[in-house]
Amino acid sequence: MRVPGLGHLFRWRYARPLLQTPLLALSVVMILHGLFGPTLAPKNLATTLSWLHFRGMLVLVLLCAGNFFCLACPFMLVRQWTRRVFAPRFNWPRALRNKWLSVALFVLILFTYELFDLWSSPWWTAWLIVAYFLSVLVVDGFFKHASFCKFVCPIGQFNFVASTLSPFEVKVREQDVCTRCHTKDCIRGRREPVTDLVTIRGCELALFQPSKVGNMDCTFCLDCVHACPHDNIGILSRLPASELTVDPIRSGIGYFSRRKDLAALAIVFTFGALLNAFGMVSPVYAVDRWLGRVLHVSHEAPVLGVIFTSFLIVEPVLLLGLAAWLTRAWVGGDRSGGMWTSGQRGLLPLAVRYTYGLVPLGFGMWLAHYCFHFLTGLYTLIPVTQNAIASLGRPLLGEPRWTLTGLPASVVQVIEIGFLVLGFFGSLAVIYGLAEDDSPDKPLRAFLPWAAVCLILWFASMWLIFQPMEMRATMMSG
Amino acid sequence: MGTPPAHASGAATIQQKLPDKKVSPFLKQGLTRWFAGIICAATLVPASCSRPDASPAFVAIEHDISPQPFRVGSATIILKLSDASGKPVTGAHIAIETDMSHAGMSPGFAEAKEAEVGRYKAQLNFQMAGDWVILLQVTLPDGKKLERQIDVRGVRPD
Repeated sequence: MRVPGLGHLFRWRYARPLLQTPLLALSVVMILHGLFGPTLAPKNLATTLSWLHFRGMLVLVLLCAGNFFCLACPFMLVRQWTRRVFAPRFNWPRALRNKWLSVALFVLILFTYELFDLWSSPWWTAWLIVAYFLSVLVVDGFFKHASFCKFVCPIGQFNFVASTLSPFEVKVREQDVCTRCHTKDCIRGRREPVTDLVTIRGCELALFQPSKVGNMDCTFCLDCVHACPHDNIGILSRLPASELTVDPIRSGIGYFSRRKDLAALAIVFTFGALLNAFGMVSPVYAVDRWLGRVLHVSHEAPVLGVIFTSFLIVEPVLLLGLAAWLTRAWVGGDRSGGMWTSGQRGLLPLAVRYTYGLVPLGFGMWLAHYCFHFLTGLYTLIPVTQNAIASLGRPLLGEPRWTLTGLPASVVQVIEIGFLVLGFFGSLAVIYGLAEDDSPDKPLRAFLPWAAVCLILWFASMWLIFQPMEMRATMMSG
Repeated sequence: MGTPPAHASGAATIQQKLPDKKVSPFLKQGLTRWFAGIICAATLVPASCSRPDASPAFVAIEHDISPQPFRVGSATIILKLSDASGKPVTGAHIAIETDMSHAGMSPGFAEAKEAEVGRYKAQLNFQMAGDWVILLQVTLPDGKKLERQIDVRGVRPD
């Protein structure tokens, strides 16, 4: 926030709409082109922008900066306009104030992505964007605050988990200033003195800045920045993943170690990364055909159901259960010097605590996968845009140069390996930090079982990126 | 749901723009028309909603791709054009474009040469394993133009 130009921009009250407006316009173009443009995915802006450029830039911005895509979210701009007419009246149901619904939606998105081959269908991609807009309007039309962002949005959950590894965070500069502050505008919002009407919103995600820790649940909306009367909140640098190695009580979240829903989200994030990549390599089709024969089904859904259950339930339960059991057995009676409380001695609390350590590894896989598509198809946006404009009757940007693609796959593979190595060592660092807390005298005993899990997942990731790609829209055939 | 396996060869009875096989045509048309209706009404641009011209003259196109099963690398496609009475169509110009079903891939271009009467041959290059689409742009001797799409499912790694 103190960077000349950028700091001034972000402090400006209308910085968010300024960033959201171009993305909203782009969303409309993608919807129209998806519905009425070419039916081939490589020639359509909806599929090219969604599945190549948006995903690639999203993970790179999360890695290099922070959750700036949530900041520029176009869905929220439409929501804001709608709320000027229809004010929500209800509070989000208490039973749903957790991540279980969004975890289920996250899995559903991954499932429909494979089942309907969203990446190959501009039409489905366009309707997915429309559905997203409608969902936002319905949820936030009925329910107050940022209910959609915090409890529903699957993309948001992805960003929240990934941004725990980002180098920037929205946080207070000096705690003393907050201690002396009596208005708490960062959470309550800035109000008119006489009417008590909110003129600048406080945090809609219930993150009270003085006790906020890390990026989880933070959309970088900058409401707190604008509301703070002391200019004491900014986008500040920090050590990536540092928030995963500690377990303080966090405003709006509580303890990570007690949040099974958050741990489930971390599991889907990590194991889903491998699953999503597995869906695009050759061996998956052999597995599909084999499963189809074993189950005597020709429909893809039950086969995918078995694969998803294996990846997202059976594999995590086995790996994390075994690691938790070994940790408990090896650390055993040595807990006196450690941080364990009686509640953490069970296998489930142990697994929940260490699951967050796998997030860097999962993010490494998402980076490797999405950057492969992004970088190998980096320049394809140019001919696709040229073609879209030419189809309107005036080739203002010239005839499409279809020979433009992207970086060679051999170069991108080196970058992929780099991401996986980075993720692997990131996970080891986080897990060692947790192990040191649990068993200061003999941290290796707590560390080794989880390091073994990381190693298994890392080998699986490396194996995946060396498999031949097979971009197919048909799993059961051939 | 998985779509049926590709026909390695056979008459291409495909329309100019194939509907996505995975989407119920009724659902797709209904939703798209509904959305198009809103757009048209809102923008008052009737031209954008006009129906396409009458369908082009009937020409059957049979195709045969080898080697099989499909593998990454070069392949040969043979196209046999015949009119409504079954007579071979000679002197046509056929431009071929090959695309993958995934965004981010550049298309390949080729031109089919008439090897025998009514039989046209071209070399293709499947650069990656997966599903491919072959687009044919046929210019008949009388200047009429046709477009056909051939789906090539499941090109396997080399």
